[in-house]
Amino acid sequence: MEFNDNLPIYLQIINYLKRRITSGEISGGDKLPSVRELSSKLKVNPNTVQRAYQELEREDLVFTKRGMGTFVTEDDDVIMKLKKDTAKEVISNFIAEIKGLDFDDDEIIEIILNEIKKED
Amino acid sequence: MENLVEIKKLSKNYFNKKALDNLDLTIEEGKVLGILGPNGSGKTTLIKILTGLLRQSKGEVLIDGHKVGVYTKSIVSYLPDRNFLYNWMTIEDAFKFYSDFYSDFDLKRGEELLDFMKLGKDMKITSLSKGMTEKLNLTLVLSRKAKLYILDEPIAGVDPVARDQILDAIIKNYDSNSSMIITTHLVRDMENLFDDVAFLKDGEVILKGNAEELREEKGKSIDEIYKEIFSE
Amino acid sequence: MGKYMKYEIKGTYKVILGILAIVLIATTVLYNYTAKNESSLIIALASLLIFGTFLSAFLYIVGSFRKELYEDRGYLTFTLPLTGNQILGAKLIVAFMWFLILGAITVSYNIFMMAKTSGETINFKELLSLINSSEIISFAIMILISGISTLILIYFSMALSRVTLRNRKIGGMWFIIFLILSAFIAWIQMKIVTISPYYINLKDWSIVNSNISALFQIEIDNASLMFSTEDYFYINIAGFITNIITGIILFLGTGHIIEKKIDL
Repeated sequence: MEFNDNLPIYLQIINYLKRRITSGEISGGDKLPSVRELSSKLKVNPNTVQRAYQELEREDLVFTKRGMGTFVTEDDDVIMKLKKDTAKEVISNFIAEIKGLDFDDDEIIEIILNEIKKED
Repeated sequence: MENLVEIKKLSKNYFNKKALDNLDLTIEEGKVLGILGPNGSGKTTLIKILTGLLRQSKGEVLIDGHKVGVYTKSIVSYLPDRNFLYNWMTIEDAFKFYSDFYSDFDLKRGEELLDFMKLGKDMKITSLSKGMTEKLNLTLVLSRKAKLYILDEPIAGVDPVARDQILDAIIKNYDSNSSMIITTHLVRDMENLFDDVAFLKDGEVILKGNAEELREEKGKSIDEIYKEIFSE
Repeated sequence: MGKYMKYEIKGTYKVILGILAIVLIATTVLYNYTAKNESSLIIALASLLIFGTFLSAFLYIVGSFRKELYEDRGYLTFTLPLTGNQILGAKLIVAFMWFLILGAITVSYNIFMMAKTSGETINFKELLSLINSSEIISFAIMILISGISTLILIYFSMALSRVTLRNRKIGGMWFIIFLILSAFIAWIQMKIVTISPYYINLKDWSIVNSNISALFQIEIDNASLMFSTEDYFYINIAGFITNIITGIILFLGTGHIIEKKIDL
């Protein structure tokens, strides 16, 4: 993982983990790497990884079992909400950009439908 | 959290030259502090005062509540920026030396690290390259379960492979019960290791704070902030 | 401190054994190849060899202390959790031990070679009684004490020059300090000996006053710390005590400097 310069490292770690959860790479109930493992893999201070885990725990995305490690939530609703939140973010970025190309709403929907058909 | 190191109004003069000027700095327990500055900014002078190799002209230094002396030397694990082992030693001798003098030396950890660094115990100190010397010194220093680690320019002048190994070793062996001070001018390679940073210029701390907060506040990496401060 | 001594021995034994090997070979050559009738030449050369041994060992030991103060190894030595006195004490004891070993081996080897080349068998009883005589022992102790106090004075001078001149590596500065201090200490000693001219006879432990005693066959012009007559060996009591006290003060001073004042 390459770090972006202008964001705090812990936020980037949070985003990195969220992406892996939403993409299904890590599923609900899976164990996350230990703080030490992840810090060693990303070459960052363990305290930073610890902070990222704490933030994720506050958002109820992960939970800690004493002496066992940190696990992704088993609550599908929470994961679904994360997916939807992420989707909203992606869409709003997309809309902002495509509006800049001066299409009206119907044209935008048509373009999207065409592209999705092509993908299939 | 408790402060493990407290530095108050610290000054050091060499004849007329001020090496450190009225410096205040604290290091919390369990934190990694990066002291950043170019050569000649006073980093090494500060480190030498903490390790008892230099005397301050003014001010006070407390480590774990004690003035620098035999006690603090027993809880500080120090990596100098030079080859400090005796020339007659083999790596084996150096290991014995460390376990004889430092009761916190963990032989098992030392052997694992030595393996990781791909060094053999029968090697002679004088036969090691610059990178190997740095790796050996770091192995010895990190194999102590010290309260405070002080690493002076741990990756200066070593090749990229050794650099990665050294960073790995530091992260893997860092223990959140102890604190660490790392000085460097190679900020880009090391900035992700720091909880807190202090920028040192002409013997004064001109900026200090939590690394993440500084990134957020300035919208810049620590490396970019460093370049901004020292480019003039 | 014992641990530090162990590493001090490990760090120096190769050179010391090297010196010993060279001097033993040279002694062997000397006795085997010098004409048998020139015994006075042999004795002169053998004494020179012994002196050379001590001098080279002395210079080596002094040089290795200098390295602690001026080279990178000091970063290890002076960050060990040891007091200055412990480091210094270990160094002095090891130096003392080397001198003792070097002295014992070179002297006994000379006696052995002398007996061997002259074809006589060694009369161990006679030899033993010679060694056992109190004046020989006292003399050896005196030599060692003054050797050690010279060493302490050199260490003190080096540490002092390191502290006062900081990073400036002026090679001979310590030697100037050493000469000045030596002169000063000798002057104090002379004063004390003059004030308290009581000497102890190391053979029968009787005390004499050099000013009033008619015992002395030789004239004592200057107040000296020790002197010998044909039969006796005398040491000035006050002077000897001063010598020891000076040594202790210099020892503590050096220990204090390397623990509390040194700037590497």
